Amino acid sequence: MKQFSYTITDPVGIHARPAGILVKAVKPFESSCKITKGEKTVDLRKLMALMGMGIKCGDTVDVTIEGPDEDVAAETIEKFFKENL
Amino acid sequence: MDYRKCAQEIYDLVGKRENLVSAAHCATRLRLVTNDNEKVDMKKLEDVDGVKGVFSSNGQLQIIIGTGTVNKVYDEFLSISGMTAATKADVKAAAAAKQPLPFRMVKALGDVFVPILPAIVASGLLMGLLEGMTKIWPDMANSGTYTIIHLFSNAAFVFLPILVAISAARVFGGNIFLGAVIGMIMVHSDLINAWSVAGMLEEGQIIPSADVWFGLYKINLTGYQGHVIPVIISVWFMCFIEKRLHKIVPEMIDLFVTPLVTVLVTGYLTLTIFGPIFAQLEEWILVGVQWIITIPYGIGAAIAGAIYPLTVVAGVHHMYNTVEARMLSTGYNTWMPIASSANFAQGAACFAVALKSKDKKFKTLALPSSLSAFLGITEPAIFGVNLRLIKPLIAGMIGGAVGAAVGSMLGIGATAYGVTGLFGFLTCSNFIWQYAIMLAVSFVISFVLSWILHKDKPKDEEAAAVEEAPALPEITCEKGKVYAPIKGNVIPSANIPDETFAAGVLGEGVGIEPTLGIVYAPFDGEISSTTDTKHAIGVSSPDGMELLIHVGVNTVAMEGDGFDLLCAEGDKVKAGQKLMTFDIDKIKAAGYSTTTAVLVTNSDDYAGLDIKEGACEPLDCVITIKE
Repeated sequence: MKQFSYTITDPVGIHARPAGILVKAVKPFESSCKITKGEKTVDLRKLMALMGMGIKCGDTVDVTIEGPDEDVAAETIEKFFKENL
Repeated sequence: MDYRKCAQEIYDLVGKRENLVSAAHCATRLRLVTNDNEKVDMKKLEDVDGVKGVFSSNGQLQIIIGTGTVNKVYDEFLSISGMTAATKADVKAAAAAKQPLPFRMVKALGDVFVPILPAIVASGLLMGLLEGMTKIWPDMANSGTYTIIHLFSNAAFVFLPILVAISAARVFGGNIFLGAVIGMIMVHSDLINAWSVAGMLEEGQIIPSADVWFGLYKINLTGYQGHVIPVIISVWFMCFIEKRLHKIVPEMIDLFVTPLVTVLVTGYLTLTIFGPIFAQLEEWILVGVQWIITIPYGIGAAIAGAIYPLTVVAGVHHMYNTVEARMLSTGYNTWMPIASSANFAQGAACFAVALKSKDKKFKTLALPSSLSAFLGITEPAIFGVNLRLIKPLIAGMIGGAVGAAVGSMLGIGATAYGVTGLFGFLTCSNFIWQYAIMLAVSFVISFVLSWILHKDKPKDEEAAAVEEAPALPEITCEKGKVYAPIKGNVIPSANIPDETFAAGVLGEGVGIEPTLGIVYAPFDGEISSTTDTKHAIGVSSPDGMELLIHVGVNTVAMEGDGFDLLCAEGDKVKAGQKLMTFDIDKIKAAGYSTTTAVLVTNSDDYAGLDIKEGACEPLDCVITIKE
């Protein structure tokens, strides 16, 4: 299992568009990818659920990745967060 | 990622500074306006490290870079190109500049004036009120408070060239601070105030002059208080040479050579050529006008009344005081009724637009502008409204002409100068009824003409025509069907003016160009997500379809303003239930597309979608899923 924390710097947070791109970035991997903010955890592949989190700028989220390609997935997804969110 | 390198590569590929008009950025994109999009190497741009996509729309070149990075690339881009930060509005204005010349000139005048209108309205109204009140209570003019407030009331007019210059520099894409300097040169306190010149000549004083162009000729050292046109011409020229210089001056010395040469050359040409030529033209106009009003039977007055607003546009009207003073020395001031009629008519034409227009933004501009015109200060009405729409200007010219003719035939004369419009009654105390008739005539004629001629642009009418929500049909939802959540025009999602939606990143579906700002539930289901910014709603159906309704493009930036959410996450909704209302005008006013994305976010789970394009009523079936 791989895990990382990230604090959102995009001023508008994870709204529709970034959420869409994020989901798309996660889709190719086999591993299960989950995002946690506070008490709430959702599947990173589910756009609606992700948007429903209402993640805003300055929020810190935990991303958990578990599965056969977790190493590559974690690296790619973390990079995606840093570059886009 | 190397922001500097990315910015440098973009800069080179868009054709460097000479091909750039302005630059701005939004949350994800660098938005550039170029002189010639043909010179931009789109293919290579897409390959630049850090660029995620490139496309051109509405005359803007949009380079997708991504959130969090775009601002850093933008900063580097500015430092490399030597450009100043432009607002998104500036970029839009620059894009609009690719139109025929006469349009551009009128539009440029409007674009220059609209941002400074608040300043002029404040000063104009104050001036009108103050002058009127001193006519009622002459003692007031001796009080210290009057002196101070009088200062406020004419500050914007005395220093108008500075305001105009800054605004013009923004419109023409130059450095606004250099523009301000040009404006300041024109009203420099070492120059004789333009408004004192007539008085000084009357008293036999000599106007200081200076040799220019190595003794070739002399110019009078007078300022350009209250002027508009020569300022705009000078600043246009300034922007032209500033941009040229940026091109040819080596980067190393650009920072000090370009501003220095720009100010020196523009300033000298302004005071020695543009200004004097204009002053001469003004002199001729003045002589011409004085000749015109000697034509009898009200004809001369009618002509003068008609052209008066044009002289306001040129800024010459401040000189009429000389004419009026001369008239008063031999009798009544018969110029004042002409000016008053013309001003009142412009006010009335603007007032008609204020009442008729459905465009809220325009209404709020037109109403105080017309009020100011009724008090005799017409700049806001003319520049802000009438000149931009042209038709009200003409309506006002006709009304003003007839009013002036009536005034002349009734023999109205004033006993002072400086006030027109409603306060004009105070200086026409011997002609109260005649003056009232004259104002009424010019008001009615220009109001009626303007009312008939003025038409809101079609898009405004459309928005206004559908204030009332239509009654919805009762429907039974079928599995795999999405019913239109919004009334409007359905387009394929690939045509949504946004690359993320169009590319299907968020799923396949349709775009709806809304004609009514209400979102209805597209099927029986559950609200799976809403956002704080209220502009997007996710709905899921019992059979697992997930639908995103995203109102407008980039509207996340409006932070909920103009959107009202009528549902909450987890709500069970029935097809046709109101989920959200939104203000189409507000979205347009904020500069965003209203096209609403209706996307099946899990469209990957299905074989495909059938969509129905074209006009749709709420709850028409617009998407059918192919299993």
